[in-house]
Amino acid sequence: MPTNPYLNVLVIAALTVIFIIASSYGLGALARLIIKLRGGTPKVQENTFAGYFFAAPWIVGFLIFVLIPLGFSLYWSFTDYRIASSAPVNWVGLENYTTLILKDTSFRASLINTLYLTVIGLPLQIGVALFLAVLLNQKMWGEKLFRMAFYLPVILGFNTAVLLCWRLMLNTGTGIINQIIRALSAAFPPFGYLNRAFIFAQEVVAAVFLGLNTGKYNLLTKVIEAGFPTEVRVPLWVQSPLWTKMSVVMLMVWGCGTMMLIFLAGLNSIPKELHESAEVDGATGWQRFWKISFPLLTPYLFYNLVVGLIASLQIFEPIFVLYRDNQPIVSSTISMVYYLWQKTFSHFEIGYGSAISWLVLVIIMIVTVIQFKLQDRWVTYDVY
Amino acid sequence: MKQYFYLIKSSVLYILLTGATVLMSFPLFWMISSSLKTLSETNSAGIVWIPDQPTLQAYLDIFHNTNFLRSYFNSVFYVTLSMFGTLISIAAVSYAFSRIEWPGRNFFFFLMLSTMMIPAQALIVPQYVFFNKLNWIGTFNPIVIPGYFAGGAAMIFLLRQSMAQIPKELDESAFVDGATHLQVWWEIILPLLKAPLATIATFLFVGLWNSLLTPLMYLQTIDLYTLPVYVSTLYNINQTTQPWPTIMTAAVLTTVPLIAVFFVAQRYILESVVISGLKG
Repeated sequence: MPTNPYLNVLVIAALTVIFIIASSYGLGALARLIIKLRGGTPKVQENTFAGYFFAAPWIVGFLIFVLIPLGFSLYWSFTDYRIASSAPVNWVGLENYTTLILKDTSFRASLINTLYLTVIGLPLQIGVALFLAVLLNQKMWGEKLFRMAFYLPVILGFNTAVLLCWRLMLNTGTGIINQIIRALSAAFPPFGYLNRAFIFAQEVVAAVFLGLNTGKYNLLTKVIEAGFPTEVRVPLWVQSPLWTKMSVVMLMVWGCGTMMLIFLAGLNSIPKELHESAEVDGATGWQRFWKISFPLLTPYLFYNLVVGLIASLQIFEPIFVLYRDNQPIVSSTISMVYYLWQKTFSHFEIGYGSAISWLVLVIIMIVTVIQFKLQDRWVTYDVY
Repeated sequence: MKQYFYLIKSSVLYILLTGATVLMSFPLFWMISSSLKTLSETNSAGIVWIPDQPTLQAYLDIFHNTNFLRSYFNSVFYVTLSMFGTLISIAAVSYAFSRIEWPGRNFFFFLMLSTMMIPAQALIVPQYVFFNKLNWIGTFNPIVIPGYFAGGAAMIFLLRQSMAQIPKELDESAFVDGATHLQVWWEIILPLLKAPLATIATFLFVGLWNSLLTPLMYLQTIDLYTLPVYVSTLYNINQTTQPWPTIMTAAVLTTVPLIAVFFVAQRYILESVVISGLKG
């Protein structure tokens, strides 16, 4: 193999293409042979060959990159396999899982942080997305332009460069967000009160979540003892364990463009006649939204909820970029995937990491199944 | 009276929408503005909306930073290489799932859709061990090669939907004339799908360009770093002052391709987000 990294990957890519073509041909020929032995007509044989030939890249990739890795990681999750050490691999049974669930405080922290993002962040994100979609649904001049502006953050989204810009804006002392908050509070006292109320409420909630994690609620008592924040207080976005998760929530809300588009599609699918006849009957805009639009939007809301919840389990980039080196506070915001990365690639504990990834997988499946079970209670399908 | 009410309603609407647009685009504005500032302006205690004397010093400096330039080249190189392989394999697999009747098609199609449930991160540990065995750590291979196996079930689904809409008579008449599946796929079907293919290429581009976790895991040395990995090293918590103008200059240059691609392809992107989202 050439040592030049660029040449190396070009050669490997060419070999991969040859491998894919060869395995496609092989798979197609094998399938055709089986059909022939079963007595398929030449036409069926030909179609079988072509079908497997064209689908083979995915089938082979599924075996190599999904099925076999999942099998191996399931096996490793019951062992103490470490990639860096030469010690023999020992079967440890369920030990990794029991440690994770019962003893590992970092894993518990990641679960509780995800809970915070789900309980506080997801409703905010969905709410803003719905609000923007309703605004855009008024069909006025420039709608496309606004839609683009609201979707652009999704494209830029979790790029490191953009996250670093947020890091700059969220600086407690000189960051633009706090500077604007200070300026507005000084110029317009009611805003100052609003800001202080927000700070107080946010810190109490965050302290409760941190308390859930450690089992000690001394931060909560401290926050309550400190009482209503003074005039000079500003949010401590990336500086305090009480605020780290709120910063991630800000990023989630900023990137709500996909959800907005989904809601917009939902609003567009509502027949106009429903609104028109309700208007004739004298229903106000507010009533029409809650009685007509909202029930018909529930399938779209459900979709956003399922996808949003899975996404909040998987948040990695914001935590890496905003807090990676900031040891004392990173634990207040780690997600399951961040913890998985940390365990596997700074400690090389493959067995333990495998157990985490299987737990993540199982949790995602359980959450999705629960949501699908619950949907009958509140999701409206096809009333018109 | 009614007209008056309408006027108020639409001006409130425009005020809200403009406000939301300003908020949503603010980080972008701030990134550009900060890249034109001096270090003392980025750390100033007062608000500097737009620097009095915009300086391009950070831009001039960064073009002498070989690490940055190389990471830019690395990103362009790996994204291009990975994107084309992925695109062609996705086009092939979509063809099998939409235009050929073969035994097992429904089974594999359902299997493919169900892989969308598996988070990519659940696979990173065993894949890391696998690539380690192949001696591929510290090369571009692990971030390029997996895509060649039609990575991305959502993208296959999206393309399959467009492909299934093409009338069947088109390929049937070609088969009567003696064409093979390969010819029909490459010469008849794909040229009809330029817009969906461009959309998928855009999604792949955005995903690869923003990707941080896998390049971070596999690239290891600074001369292989892609942009997101390199840019993340510019911010160093152990320094007392961060070189913000430099970081923001790197950020602007990193986001320019994304914004350019988005503006060119936005119409298709906004439509297909909904298709792939709702029916997936």
